[in-house]
Amino acid sequence: MNTPTGGPRLSARRKQQLAGWLFLSPAIAYLLFAFALPIIYNVMLSFEQTSPATIAHFTAPWAGLDNYRAVFNDPTSRDAILRTFEFTFGSLLGQFIIGFALALLFSLRFPGGTLARSLIIVPWLLPLIVTGVIFRFLFQAEGGAINQVLLNLGLVDSPVQWLNDPHLAFWTILVANIWLGVPFFTILLYSALQDVPVEIKEAAVIDGAGPWQRLRLLIVPIILPVIEVTLLLGFVFTVKVFDLVIGLTGGGPANSTQLITTWSYNLSFQVFNFGQGAALNNVLLALALICSPLYLWLSRGSLETSQGGAG
Amino acid sequence: MNRLDRSRPLRWLCTFAAIAALALVLFPVYAIIVGSFESTETLFSGTFYWLPHQATLDNYRTVLQGTSASTQATVSGSQAGHILTSLLIGLGTTIFALVVAVPAAYALSKYRLRVTVIVVSALLVAQIVPSIVLATSLFIIFHWIHLVNTYPGLILADATYAIPFAILVLRAFFFSLPNELMDAARVDGASEWTTFRRIVIPLARSAVITVAVFAFLAGWGDFIFALTILNGSGIEPITLGIYSYLGNYSTDWGAVMASAVIALLPAGVMLALAQRYIASGLTAGSVKG
Repeated sequence: MNTPTGGPRLSARRKQQLAGWLFLSPAIAYLLFAFALPIIYNVMLSFEQTSPATIAHFTAPWAGLDNYRAVFNDPTSRDAILRTFEFTFGSLLGQFIIGFALALLFSLRFPGGTLARSLIIVPWLLPLIVTGVIFRFLFQAEGGAINQVLLNLGLVDSPVQWLNDPHLAFWTILVANIWLGVPFFTILLYSALQDVPVEIKEAAVIDGAGPWQRLRLLIVPIILPVIEVTLLLGFVFTVKVFDLVIGLTGGGPANSTQLITTWSYNLSFQVFNFGQGAALNNVLLALALICSPLYLWLSRGSLETSQGGAG
Repeated sequence: MNRLDRSRPLRWLCTFAAIAALALVLFPVYAIIVGSFESTETLFSGTFYWLPHQATLDNYRTVLQGTSASTQATVSGSQAGHILTSLLIGLGTTIFALVVAVPAAYALSKYRLRVTVIVVSALLVAQIVPSIVLATSLFIIFHWIHLVNTYPGLILADATYAIPFAILVLRAFFFSLPNELMDAARVDGASEWTTFRRIVIPLARSAVITVAVFAFLAGWGDFIFALTILNGSGIEPITLGIYSYLGNYSTDWGAVMASAVIALLPAGVMLALAQRYIASGLTAGSVKG
């Protein structure tokens, strides 16, 4: 640094630093405006006594924990929180089993495999509200494809009231969401299976390991990190499902399919109780953010590489 | 010979299993495409037809002209304007996301900045934040700064889907560019901006396309921000249009499905034109490192 060229080199370096900051600053500004500010404001809102009139002002009267108390004392909110857990774990279970089975299928090479892989991602690309509407059509009692299949197979005697029976409607959102998430699991697990070295698989075959043993003792341990990331991302995607439920059941019948997201929407935008909506939002946010340390740890590869960047 | 190679019949069994799985996965989409060509009478007959029963374009006419041919149900308004609105939102989200994300990703991979780890962590966490949390606050914040019911407001909100994803995917790509490339340009006297614009962006074309496809689909398919930030007068994208068709007492399924099929078109076009970009984006965005 104390060579004669130290001066100009330092200024070139400073110029580069400045350029880096300029390239990055719009993104930082955006993150502050579109993520940090709304999250902080949402916390403030949850402690305020809001009414439609207070929306026009920056702050409303302090409410302490009233909004949280109201939310946790309201059976519909409590049910929505509990149901969000059931929905999330049910979805992940179905998505993982089906997605893993399909990933294993695709990893065997067979005619048409490439085409099948490219078509399997179709559900992932649809607008979510459209997926909800599609399943509303399929689950109709009269003229719905699902009832028609069940009737034709003789599994039921009369049309099942999927969308009208509060005990059955939950299954419609679960089935639709599993359908929606399977391609994500399939593609990620498939690409992980591709990374398992062929030599290892061959060695296991020579050693006389059966397919089930190979899967359980060899393949699953190797791809475990990807399974963990996939389940974690699946969890955070599923707790925030909204459009699908609105399009399929609208949270009904009799609030039997309300999740945290849909009930929070209802509190804020239907009855204009933004304070309670924000309180429920914070429950959801906490649920999602619980995962963030684990997610950051699992993604530590992408954080570490940053130190290796050129200066 | 590879010991893992399957016998011929077994391979065909796999093909058969894959066809069965695909049939289940694609059936819902097939069902609304068929449904969108059915007459209202067929749709209200209480029977589901596996093939078009009496194929008609009436539903598309209803949707595009805004007048219902059916007597059993009414629909509100035409979707033609909504399609244009959704295209504008999709394009706006794409452009905005690229303008913010491409330079940021470059800075986060090729410049040694003190904030890199913090910003990358923030981007990873941002992908986790549920949209309803942002929507509730943004509605009120937009209320003060007069962005409710405007295109810029909606695009700012829709970019929350696209920007964190875009920066992370592009950053992973920029790591693959050799630093010598930029150093050579600098030695030749190119400014940082010129290096970025003339050397880096052209090389990043495929990653930019991947990100653009996802940003467009995010803006086009957004429902939650449209539902909260637009107040139902003036701007109405097709996702809201479909929702308002459903809101009627008796749903005109023909019109709903014709609009749903129209809403699927961009995904179909992208899948056909940019398939390899979509597959690479799906994996790149999710598992890194």
